[in-house]
Amino acid sequence: MWLPFVFLLFGIVLGLLTDIRIPEEYTDYLSIAVLAAFDTLFGGIRAHLEGKFNDKVFISGFFFNVSLAAFLAFVGVQIGVDLYLAAVFAFGVRLFQNIALIRRHLIEKSYFKKKRKKTVKK
Amino acid sequence: MIFVKSKFKLVVLLVFLLAGFMIAVQFQSIQKPKERDTRDTWELRADIQEQQKTQQQLYAKIQQAEQTIHQYENDSVTQTTATLKKSVQALKEEAGLTEKKGNGVVFKVKPLFHEEMDDTDVQVFPTLKPELLSRFINELNKYGATEISIANERVISITPIRNVNGTIYVNNHPLPPIPFEIKVLSENPEKLLSYMEYSSIRDYFAIENINLLGKTKNEIVLPKYDQEIHFKSIHLQEAEDVNGE
Repeated sequence: MWLPFVFLLFGIVLGLLTDIRIPEEYTDYLSIAVLAAFDTLFGGIRAHLEGKFNDKVFISGFFFNVSLAAFLAFVGVQIGVDLYLAAVFAFGVRLFQNIALIRRHLIEKSYFKKKRKKTVKK
Repeated sequence: MIFVKSKFKLVVLLVFLLAGFMIAVQFQSIQKPKERDTRDTWELRADIQEQQKTQQQLYAKIQQAEQTIHQYENDSVTQTTATLKKSVQALKEEAGLTEKKGNGVVFKVKPLFHEEMDDTDVQVFPTLKPELLSRFINELNKYGATEISIANERVISITPIRNVNGTIYVNNHPLPPIPFEIKVLSENPEKLLSYMEYSSIRDYFAIENINLLGKTKNEIVLPKYDQEIHFKSIHLQEAEDVNGE
């Protein structure tokens, strides 16, 4: 369970240590891509907690969402509509939903754990 | 391999790694490098001197103002009125509402070449461009002109120079056709003249077929600005803003 987070941290450290900066024009694309990545990660965690995790869905979802978000932002810039807002909105809503589900799941889990302990003690 | 034992496939973990990497890169790209003070000693010294100069000027101004206040406080009513009148007069002079006499330079604006009369028998006179005139005034101010008048129109700080239907308007009055005179007062007319003679502005005048002949002259009289100054578009500037510049 903790291995993915270790890798996430490792990735962050790697990113900070390599000191890569992308040009300012492209930060919009990367930011939207990062948002998509967040969405996929939390979706994956939720699916894992629900026991429905499928790595093919997860990986394809990650790459597809990231590229779709960046592409949407690109198209938006070309036609002068702030399309990236659509991506921000969609991913933002899903992010909140996923986090809420994860929270509930964890609460239920700990609740059951306590109950089981109590019944064992009795 | 530990990954094989783990519940997650290596690819999933790599996706997490990639996501972390993306976040870090984004974070770093957003972060702006701190602005560093890269001035060396020489520049710092120059800046300090500049600031000290400003300070001196401000002190002088304060002293002057305090003197005025002192006069107001100590003097009788008649003397107060006199002081007030003096202040008003000084301010008027500064604003260009009075005639001014002094040493300076007179520039004669003339055609550079008289065009040969051809069959049409029409003498073509060159025309001045307002941008050129504005640039010329900037140049004059740069080299120490204190007061300027263009063809008997006093140039003050809000004087507009515009092109209206092909004629140049200064102070909303049309300029006469060339030739006319531009009178400039300066504390050091010789220096101003020599600056202007080597300035590239003469070339720009020459492109328009205009010759600029400058001559120093004593006791030039500049006319006063004869219109009202409208304060509608003039606002008080906060003292802090002035200091911040």
